[in-house]
Amino acid sequence: MARGVKLLATLLGLAVAGSAISGVALGQVSFAGKTVTVVVGNPPGGGYDRLGRVVARHLGRFLPGNPTVVVQNMPGAAGVVAANHLYHVARPDGLTLGLFNQNMVFGQLLGVEGLRADMRKWQWVGSVTRETDVFTIRADLPYRNVQELRRADPPLAIGATAPGSGSYDFPLVLKAFLKLNVRIVSGYPGRSDIMLAIERKELDGVAGSWSSMKPFAQRGLVRVLVKTPSENPELRDVPSDVDLVTEPTHKAVLQLHAVPNRIGRPFVLPPAVPADVVRAYREAFRRLAEDPTFRTEAERLGFEVVYTSGEQCLRIVEEVLNSPPGVVRIFKSFFRFGE
Amino acid sequence: MVEALLDGLLRVLQPNALVYMLFGVFIGFWVGILPGLGGTVTLALMLPFVYGMEPVQAFAFLLGMHSVVATTGDLTSILFGIPGEGLSAALVLDGYAMTKKGEAGRALGANLMSSLVGALVGAAALAAAIPVVRPLVLSFGAPELFMLAVMGIAFIASLSGRGARGLARGAAAGALGLLVSSVGQDPQAGILRYTFGQLYLWGGIDIVPAVVGLFALPEILDLMVRRTSIAATAPTEKLTGVWEGVKDCFRHFGLTLRCSLIGAFIGIMPGLGGGVAQWMSYGHAVQSAKTAEERARFGKGDVRGVLGPGAANNSKEGGSLIPTVAFGVPGSSAMAVLLGGFFLTGLVPGPDMLTRHLSVTYSMVWTLVLANVVTVALCFPLLPYLARLTAIRATRLVPFLMLLVFLGAYTANNSWGDILVAVTFGILGYAMVRFGWPRAPLVLGLVLGDVAERYLWISVARYGWDWLGRPGVVVFLVLTLAVLLVPFFQEWRERRAGYVLGGAAHAD
Repeated sequence: MARGVKLLATLLGLAVAGSAISGVALGQVSFAGKTVTVVVGNPPGGGYDRLGRVVARHLGRFLPGNPTVVVQNMPGAAGVVAANHLYHVARPDGLTLGLFNQNMVFGQLLGVEGLRADMRKWQWVGSVTRETDVFTIRADLPYRNVQELRRADPPLAIGATAPGSGSYDFPLVLKAFLKLNVRIVSGYPGRSDIMLAIERKELDGVAGSWSSMKPFAQRGLVRVLVKTPSENPELRDVPSDVDLVTEPTHKAVLQLHAVPNRIGRPFVLPPAVPADVVRAYREAFRRLAEDPTFRTEAERLGFEVVYTSGEQCLRIVEEVLNSPPGVVRIFKSFFRFGE
Repeated sequence: MVEALLDGLLRVLQPNALVYMLFGVFIGFWVGILPGLGGTVTLALMLPFVYGMEPVQAFAFLLGMHSVVATTGDLTSILFGIPGEGLSAALVLDGYAMTKKGEAGRALGANLMSSLVGALVGAAALAAAIPVVRPLVLSFGAPELFMLAVMGIAFIASLSGRGARGLARGAAAGALGLLVSSVGQDPQAGILRYTFGQLYLWGGIDIVPAVVGLFALPEILDLMVRRTSIAATAPTEKLTGVWEGVKDCFRHFGLTLRCSLIGAFIGIMPGLGGGVAQWMSYGHAVQSAKTAEERARFGKGDVRGVLGPGAANNSKEGGSLIPTVAFGVPGSSAMAVLLGGFFLTGLVPGPDMLTRHLSVTYSMVWTLVLANVVTVALCFPLLPYLARLTAIRATRLVPFLMLLVFLGAYTANNSWGDILVAVTFGILGYAMVRFGWPRAPLVLGLVLGDVAERYLWISVARYGWDWLGRPGVVVFLVLTLAVLLVPFFQEWRERRAGYVLGGAAHAD
């Protein structure tokens, strides 16, 4: 109970402090008394929702006027529904912020039907997390590295949810470029069902983000064999896919695939939001990423907290959209747009 | 183990944990009654508050809230024919029919009591399964899950009308359900099926707005046409009668118990979804009818049709904790949010929960037990008042009901598409009622189609033809045949015994 009271007191204190500062110190941009909505393109019960909520919980402290920040889930079509809404329907007044599928830029690159948003025109706010994709196999299998996996007999069964998901596309491209003797068994309802199938030895491996695989790797169920390029110290000893291939076009394709991981999970504002509001948000995210309370909480939830500025996000997006046609052609044959 | 069991109880009974649990129960109570705020969303909203709590307190709070939602969500199904939590639709069939007959109090009493029995059985199943949980869950592979879905679909035979004509209609409705479940992006090749260029349809037809439309809208239309209160045709003095319902639960205790076990079992199997437990136990309740004549009473207000789904709906919660706790793989989206609670409190779900943190795991069992007892105790005094709602005139009630229906549908995806789906299925449902087609098989097809498709594909892709020879598959095949043949057997036996059994049917 004491904690509840303390929480209430803190909230009250924040509200009082907030209303005192706003309008005085920070000039025109103030969110005092307003409610900011973070539109999350996924349902509750997943990584995006979890990230959206932990950010929403702390973001208000760093925005001028200390607004209340709430999460609204708008799932559908791998985030395209939320993206279209933010781009065309939401008012560009800075009170609606979006968080959706980091692969959205591939949707534009691959020309996905129904996506009505130009990734170059978003007001990129920035990202406070970073992801690494890993390819793992069951730890009780005798294969220790990629070379041994080429001679695997019988071929390993790799679980996937659907084409377009990281669990499907990443193993597919590794199989082709690294000549791994694996086959993909697709159609599991979710990642958790795949993990259970690995546990009962129905499957031999799975690919996924490190933040979701970490608990299973740590308790010895799976072993990480390959990662996408990453500076995460926890994966220091794991070879990256880009280093394992030799052919330049293959390297280029894998580098392209890893781009969304470099952005992490970015937050965006609608294109027409005024520049000073965008500035206030970018500053808030920079400070949020340094905030110790936020960091501890996000890390407990499994996120790797690394700040990427909005400007950087935009640069990376442009890099993707300007990829050489030859690379895009090969990329298209392996990757579909999805979650 | 007994030590851990007691330790778990003592930990929940500590003042801090107990207060948090009661607080959770209070929130869950309202969330369950009000459609539009799903249990999963509420869990996600409340998750940040557990930051800094002890694990036992955190789970007392979260589980206390979650376990109540299943109980109070049933209330609107029975009172107004509106599935409160989307997945408690099986209760509408007989629960709302009883309400229309003026037996709302009895239906609510029966439901509440069976919910309690279900919750206790679910908690007991969880406690009993802990030592054997790994082999138990791991023996169920894709082929067994496929056969379980097939067995569920086989219940269509029992949920259809009588005779060849009734069966044909049931099968057709079931086939339509399967067809609707195939809408969306297919999970093997990524092909968009029946999406007609609509982004909304990528993810398929959401079960919640479909079921809400199918069951609630026809009843509201009917109410508007009648322009009376829900229970207008019934004598008013029967409106209460809560105790009669409680007694019903013990009159059919065997059935309540079996349906609780079905619910717990299905809860343990991840990936089957919450609706499955309810419908399979409803199908089982229908099968418990001894004669065809008795069977025909289902859907028209048989209390057994309330007891079965009510019990299963609560017992599945205990079951669904098992994969979450023991493997760190959540069996439902609510459990996925709960998994966040593990991380926030610094616990690692997995084998450790069955050894090092066993008393925390048992504290979850106790939370389920206590929270449900508290809820039922809180609800009982309210029931007579709730039952009186059914005497309100339609003109006053309908706007409120419409709001509940569309809010409930809209929150599935926060999209206009949800409203359209609800209305479309509402029209379909009205036509089905009007022309005497059963709706239950359609829902069964819709709920199980996706699961069946996925696991059939995986079974063949992974095992070739070998999956057909697995012992579990054979067992389920036999059970499926039994499920299919029971209605025919009943009819045959009845024809042979004729009037002799007909007279003894009420002895149940």
